[in-house]
Amino acid sequence: MFKKVLIANRGEIALRINRACQELGVRTVAIFSEADRQSLHVRQADEAFCVGPGPVPHSYLNIPNIISTALVTKCDAIHPGYGFLSESARFASICADHGLTFIGPKPHVIAAMGDKATAKRVMKDAGVATTPGTDILSSVDEARRAAKKLGCPVLLKATAGGGGKGMRVVAQLDDLERAYAGATAEAEASFKDGRLYMEKLIVDPRHIEVQVLGDDFGNVVQLGERDCSMQKPSHQKLIEEAPAANLSGKVRKHLHDMALRACKHVGYTNAGTLEFLVSGDDVYFMEMNTRIQVEHPVTEMVYGIDLVKEQIRIAAGETLGYGQSDLVARGHAIECRINAEDSRNNFAPQAGTLAKVMFPGGPGIRVDTAVYSGASIPPYYDSMMAKVVAYGDTRDAAIARMDRALRETVVEGVNTTVAACLEILATREFREGRYDIGFLPRLMAAAAVG
Amino acid sequence: MSDAAPHNGSLVGRVRDLVETFVQTDLVRLRIERGGEVFELARPALPRTAPPAAVELSEPIVVANLETIRADLVGIFRFVRPIPSEGERIEGERELGYVEALGIRNPVRSRGAGRVVSILCADGDGVDYGRPLFQMARD
Repeated sequence: MFKKVLIANRGEIALRINRACQELGVRTVAIFSEADRQSLHVRQADEAFCVGPGPVPHSYLNIPNIISTALVTKCDAIHPGYGFLSESARFASICADHGLTFIGPKPHVIAAMGDKATAKRVMKDAGVATTPGTDILSSVDEARRAAKKLGCPVLLKATAGGGGKGMRVVAQLDDLERAYAGATAEAEASFKDGRLYMEKLIVDPRHIEVQVLGDDFGNVVQLGERDCSMQKPSHQKLIEEAPAANLSGKVRKHLHDMALRACKHVGYTNAGTLEFLVSGDDVYFMEMNTRIQVEHPVTEMVYGIDLVKEQIRIAAGETLGYGQSDLVARGHAIECRINAEDSRNNFAPQAGTLAKVMFPGGPGIRVDTAVYSGASIPPYYDSMMAKVVAYGDTRDAAIARMDRALRETVVEGVNTTVAACLEILATREFREGRYDIGFLPRLMAAAAVG
Repeated sequence: MSDAAPHNGSLVGRVRDLVETFVQTDLVRLRIERGGEVFELARPALPRTAPPAAVELSEPIVVANLETIRADLVGIFRFVRPIPSEGERIEGERELGYVEALGIRNPVRSRGAGRVVSILCADGDGVDYGRPLFQMARD
């Protein structure tokens, strides 16, 4: 096992990793920006090093300072958390070059899965169903031919993309030329890579993802699915749950089988998530996230497995020590993201000082957070402040607990998503487990009209 | 230290109170920021090996134009020879030390003529971004 791990992240996930390390008897080094000097993750770690000023490129993406911190403090390994450098194959390679273990998959796997067009090709080779579409397009003429063949609406996507950048919906062929030029320019500006590919647009599908773990000895397991269809118009997730409600046994098994097949095909190691679009009985691979996910606690709650500890154990060269038949999901878990956002203003991010914070507790409630009364929300980072997770023997019990927990939650000083989550929880569609990725945008549009 | 004791008097009165407080302590440096005002007092550091009872505290010095030289990257700090000493006068830009990061030597320089008021790091220290290394009283 490692003696000391550098945690290359901030906020709740830095604390989450710190807790896992402490329970494993591993010492920790936190990094922080000048804006995060008073943050909880700085106080909880055994050592803490400032790596730069507030803006992300100068601190949490500052690879030389992060690597130098790991070397100065004599760390064995770096846990990247999610976001920031977690899916950077270059960073993973640099870690290896300096004798540091990157707690995640191998750099070549990150590279293959990070390039979306390549990932789709790899998945096709593995026999995994992908959204009907093309490889990388070489010209607008090729795009036009492909759109005619697939039938509109289609989606132009940047192969280096993420976060909706370099993505355009083409509703009809006449829109194609403009969309192609716009997406190329945006992708070039955002990722320094303007290459695009095309997919058939699946209208309002469900977003369902499968958690996997693999070790260096060829053992791979899946830890069931999470339904992440409750998304803001920006495609950012707001509520997640495990397992997915109203999923037929056939579709569930298909998803789990595809995830395992894909992982074995690419020799996947450590924790990862395969994201799928589900429309009726049709299932399409969308992308793979080669890291721990924000919403990993719902899987932990139903499987009783600490995924972050598993990541660390696997990276330290240990075997999984269990097989698929040892894993049994029990009960139901729901996660609500408590963000510093104004849900009445299209979830606009908020910055400021938290005058008062009181999180819920009691049976079946878990809160992962790094904020406290008096903490500040800097303007540089993601607006998520906390994840409230509710567990119940049944989905109804989990919903009732979440409803109770959100009503206990007090955050003063910034607008939050608590009220929006409560509103969603009260809808018939959520209660019945019948919602897709278009549900929340439709709810918001109806509220705006109303 | 970021919070001064409340004082509603004049600037001179506040500085006098500050100096009196400083004299009563064995602090080497005291910095107070309040309402946009910054007061900083310093005196040469005591030798670490000296027995505390045998040392008489030097008179406090009110330092003007105090400038803190900080690390601008993460690495191991090393002095360059001749090693600067507290109280030493520095002429112009001079390399006082360097931060070694990923095998590269990154110089730490004085930014103009002045006197070294305090040395805040030791040879071989691991330093992070913004870590104070030297305090200089600039001319």
